[in-house]
Amino acid sequence: MSSFLKHRPSLPLWLGLLSIGVLIGVAGALNVLINGHAQVYNVTREVPWGILIATYVFLVVSSTGLCLLSSLGHVFGIEKFEFIGKRAIILAIITLLCGFGAIGMEINHPIRLAIYAIISPNFTSAIWWMGTLYGLYLVLLCGELYFLMKGMHKGAFAMGMLGFIAAVSAHSNLGAVFGLLEARPFWHGSFLPIYFILSALVSGGAIVSMIVYFNHKQSGTPMPQKYEDFIDTLGRLQTLFLMVLVFFVIWKIIPGIYGHPPEKYEATMAMLTGPLAFNFWFFEVLLGLLIPITLLINPRTRTPMGVMWAGISATVGIFFMRYDLVIGGQLVSMRAGTSDLRDGLLHYVPSVTEFAIVIGAISACLLLYTLAERFLPLDTDEH
Amino acid sequence: MSRLIDKKLSRRRFLGLSSCTLATAVVGSQVKVLRALATSGDISAPVAGKDDSIFTTCGMCVNKCGVIARVRDGVIRKLDPNPNFIKSRAMLCARGNAGVQLVYDPDRLKYPLIRTGERGEGKFRKATWEEALDLVAKNLNTIADKYTRAGVMFASTEGTYQDHFFNQLAECFGSPNTVRHPTLCLSSNIQGFSATYGTNPTPDVLNADYIIMSGANRSEALITPDSIDMLKGDGGRRKIIYLDPRFTKTAAKADKWFPIKAGTDMAFILAMIHVIVTEGLYDKDYVRDNTVGFDKLLPHVAPYTPEWAQGACEIAADDIRKVAREFAEAAPKAVYYQGRRSSFTSNDTQMRRAMAILNAIVGNWDVKGGMIPNAGIKLTPHDYLAPWYDDVPGRIDADSVAFLSEKDGSWPVVQERVLAAKPYPIKGMMIYKQNVLASVPDRAKTVKMMDQMDFICTIDITMSDAAWYSDVVLPEATYLERLDPIESLGGPVPVAVFRQPAVEAKFESKPCLWIMQELATRLGEEIAETFNFTMDEYIHHQVKDNPKILVDLKEKGVYFERTEPDYGSTVGKKLKTISGKIEIFSQRYADKGLDPLPVYSSPQAIPAGKFRLIVGRHAFFTHGTTANNAYLHEIMPDNTLWLHSAAATQAGLTHGQRVKVRSSVGEETLSLEVTDKIRPDCVYMAHGFGVMSKGLSNIYGKGGCDAALIETKYCPISGNAAMHETLVEVVPA
Amino acid sequence: MKNKRFAIVLDTNRCIDCKACTVACKTENHVPLGTDNYRNWVGPEPLRGTYPDLGQSFTPSQCQHCSNPPCEHVCPTGATTVTPDGIVHVIEHKCIGCKYCMTACPYDARYYNEEIEAVDKCTFCSQRIYGENGQLPACVETCPTKVRVFGDLNDPNSDVSKLLAKYPSRVLKPAQGTKPNLYYLI
Repeated sequence: MSSFLKHRPSLPLWLGLLSIGVLIGVAGALNVLINGHAQVYNVTREVPWGILIATYVFLVVSSTGLCLLSSLGHVFGIEKFEFIGKRAIILAIITLLCGFGAIGMEINHPIRLAIYAIISPNFTSAIWWMGTLYGLYLVLLCGELYFLMKGMHKGAFAMGMLGFIAAVSAHSNLGAVFGLLEARPFWHGSFLPIYFILSALVSGGAIVSMIVYFNHKQSGTPMPQKYEDFIDTLGRLQTLFLMVLVFFVIWKIIPGIYGHPPEKYEATMAMLTGPLAFNFWFFEVLLGLLIPITLLINPRTRTPMGVMWAGISATVGIFFMRYDLVIGGQLVSMRAGTSDLRDGLLHYVPSVTEFAIVIGAISACLLLYTLAERFLPLDTDEH
Repeated sequence: MSRLIDKKLSRRRFLGLSSCTLATAVVGSQVKVLRALATSGDISAPVAGKDDSIFTTCGMCVNKCGVIARVRDGVIRKLDPNPNFIKSRAMLCARGNAGVQLVYDPDRLKYPLIRTGERGEGKFRKATWEEALDLVAKNLNTIADKYTRAGVMFASTEGTYQDHFFNQLAECFGSPNTVRHPTLCLSSNIQGFSATYGTNPTPDVLNADYIIMSGANRSEALITPDSIDMLKGDGGRRKIIYLDPRFTKTAAKADKWFPIKAGTDMAFILAMIHVIVTEGLYDKDYVRDNTVGFDKLLPHVAPYTPEWAQGACEIAADDIRKVAREFAEAAPKAVYYQGRRSSFTSNDTQMRRAMAILNAIVGNWDVKGGMIPNAGIKLTPHDYLAPWYDDVPGRIDADSVAFLSEKDGSWPVVQERVLAAKPYPIKGMMIYKQNVLASVPDRAKTVKMMDQMDFICTIDITMSDAAWYSDVVLPEATYLERLDPIESLGGPVPVAVFRQPAVEAKFESKPCLWIMQELATRLGEEIAETFNFTMDEYIHHQVKDNPKILVDLKEKGVYFERTEPDYGSTVGKKLKTISGKIEIFSQRYADKGLDPLPVYSSPQAIPAGKFRLIVGRHAFFTHGTTANNAYLHEIMPDNTLWLHSAAATQAGLTHGQRVKVRSSVGEETLSLEVTDKIRPDCVYMAHGFGVMSKGLSNIYGKGGCDAALIETKYCPISGNAAMHETLVEVVPA
Repeated sequence: MKNKRFAIVLDTNRCIDCKACTVACKTENHVPLGTDNYRNWVGPEPLRGTYPDLGQSFTPSQCQHCSNPPCEHVCPTGATTVTPDGIVHVIEHKCIGCKYCMTACPYDARYYNEEIEAVDKCTFCSQRIYGENGQLPACVETCPTKVRVFGDLNDPNSDVSKLLAKYPSRVLKPAQGTKPNLYYLI
């Protein structure tokens, strides 16, 4: 642990920046509590789900991905992945909680959810299942972390297995929150539940590569061969996941434009050539897919640093994938001629307060993880 | 290591404990939520609380539809239509529903106000009624002393059922200069039809099979029951032909819309007459027995062929012929619907004459589906003896137009003559409800006219532009807070209406009668005597000879004697014309040196790069007074300038662009709306925007003012303002 | 005795887009001011044709009170529920403001009401129809040209049943499978 005491200068700066980020988030939250949602958010009756929902999905997909990758280690027994176990789980918990925080700011009455989800649950509601499954998933994650910390491998295995099942259920169900809405052809269908799981794997891999890289950079010691091997394997695995993701994205787009299916076409085109085009081509495709694949597929760039950069790039890209999905599905109006349409589409841009809360959520994530790294024993060398 | 673990465990325990506490605290604070768990959420359970239901009539526009005010705990919860009110067919429009906002509008006038800053600055101080009324009386008397009593003009409009008290004060004060709204609206219609029939009749829309409307945009300029009856099912027999330079909502409902060239309706009508008389499609027997001057009509309309008319109004000759033949075929259940507003051109009276003649020759007078003379409900008038004053001259606008109404005057003429101070100066203005700065054409001129005044007092319910520009502003109680006299709404099926207060008058607002009585007391005993009654006494006096009127009004909210028109009530009787018959040829006009038969004159040619500005209505606004009502405001928060797409392209203008509209008398800036719902040579903007008053907080700073652009033109026969004769240019702002 | 099945039949040929129904609804149901806050609307239909052969229709609408309501399926706390008479309504104190019902509704019938702190929408003026006087919904009663007719589809003698028997009608977005109960006469 004393290794953390070296290389001091960057840590205070890092913690300082994150604290500012968290404070920005708190300021945003206070603004909401004082002035009310309607005054400070840019969501409307026709675009009711904004960047906060997208951020929640992003954080939750990260959590799921971390859990899945962690499972590769102590659930599915792939030794190489064992050592990231604790870190992945704790970050999975942190991202999940920050995700809950983000959506907690979006929902008007989170307390009512806790009460009425139990008193009058609606079992046909994908959001009810989302709350229930993610609640269960959180409990299992905590259990898994407990057993991992205690070194109780049988317990960790059991929790890990259940956690894996919960993660896949919860996250594919999250895809179904969107996918079960017949009213929104851009979302409707079996695709999103499946796509979310793949996306989680990509996300998990990207974050794990960042964790491993930065953790060792902090320590100042050269990276052990074991870890370099791991990074290389992870990089190859990540390449596979990304290429499958490219395949998924292509097959999402083609049915969206072939034959001009009503509403689905307009939403898809909003992403390809419309208001979300820059997001899509620059962030989703270039940063999210092409740069990571390029870096990872070439052995010469598949170094820990290369894999780390691929991870950052992919993570940024994945944030925009979530944003474009959530917003894109709402840009086509349910009624012709409502409000003021621009080029036939509704429009949404996050407000300052919404940005503030997003910054706060992500900063809180990073800050809590940094503190976790500092104060908790996360190495898995005792076995 | 173990120390850290211990630390971590205890930290965890701490976190656990604190989050539990927090959760409990948060849940506990939601006690309301917890308690509400007990509620069943059953919406079919009856709602607690009961409404008081009060019959009254709406005050948002001229129709005065029956209303039931639902009041709970002293708050008007909703205004519902009165199912007994036959004239409105038991409906209540957007404005009627929004009327509740008048009472609770943060912008409403609350206290008497006395100006402190410059006129038009909007700086007022709150005053007591005592002080304000004293000031008004003092100023009126001062002006009377210096300039004779005619030195005060009394401008008012109808609708409150109390405006006649205002005009009674004017009369008893001794000023002949009462100016009312008809010359901003329908004087030409009244004139043209009265010259023909001795009265201005109402078309029997419900029973007509063929209706031609010239610009009477009934689906937006709502008039009960016409706006409703024109759409009533008839087994598909009824046909509506609609002539308008704009594709309005009426055009959308009509069977056929002709984008007639603005100001050329007379050509269309004369050509129709031409077809009908030359092809012998007119009712020969009827014309022979009931009209005079038909022999002169034939040679008169000879040159007005459909081919000629096509050139004038840009409607195909074949179409004109077809319509004329269909019209005659459907007669007598065919009407050329004259509408209300006759402020299109300076030749409007003669155009309405042509309409009246066309109606007459197909024999639709006083029969089912035709033109029905209006009847009324008889009420006992309040007689008073107005004091006599020696030195007071006649009306300032006397001898200006051929037929001037003594009570209504002619606004454009008054505006001109007051400005010129000829034949004598007017130095005082008393304004009741009328928003003169928005309603009278050429706002800059009106401002100059008001600048010349020594004293201006406005009685209103919001800070209209007129109030904004006044020296004293007196808050009237809104129509939902007043007991009003009974009024007869004349028509083929007349009804009587009145108002009862739904709630007490808020703040220090007072009904007009009270204000008049207070002023009268200060102006002189003789004047005060004429106002010596309470509203209750007044109303009971009105129904002296027929108490059932008041009984019905209180029990049903409406009084009527028939549900169908009394067709044929004029048969065998003399009409109120010189000959006693329908006058196709008007000797009365000939005697005044006017064309006895309508002679067509084309509107001014529109030079390249200019457009004709036309005005019109929307179903959710009433003239210049309602755009600030919060419920109505959000339907249309701003006005735009309508311009045809081809014209816009040619001028290099795009939809949504800010443009300046310039006439010879003013310039306004607003957004452009490129639409094909208007002729390429015309532009249109909605009325009631571009206000001067900051007291209209919802619309101040929004849109442009049409009155600021419209030039002073008027019909020399009726004095009716001509509002479609202004040419404007449109340039980027 | 069979339950009622409330529905509205609309003859849009009569609609003149006067907005009486929208203002009546807002005042009757305490819908907050603001252009995003409304329970009913009159659709601004595009202009048909080219000048001077133009046409335009006006389509009033509101919550369709679907017989297969997606909003009811997706509400996590059961705040959105359907009465035996077919009226879809929101139990205010259960609404968490997740807005899932708003994204699920194919008709954009719902909005979040900041004053009652719940999602809000047309309730067929249940306070009027179940009230003492058995009044019609405000939009139905106030309409100048009587575009809307309200009644019970399960009563063969009701006006709505007779109209639907006599005249062909259509519903909005039938392919969604929501089984809406606003019928537009063709």
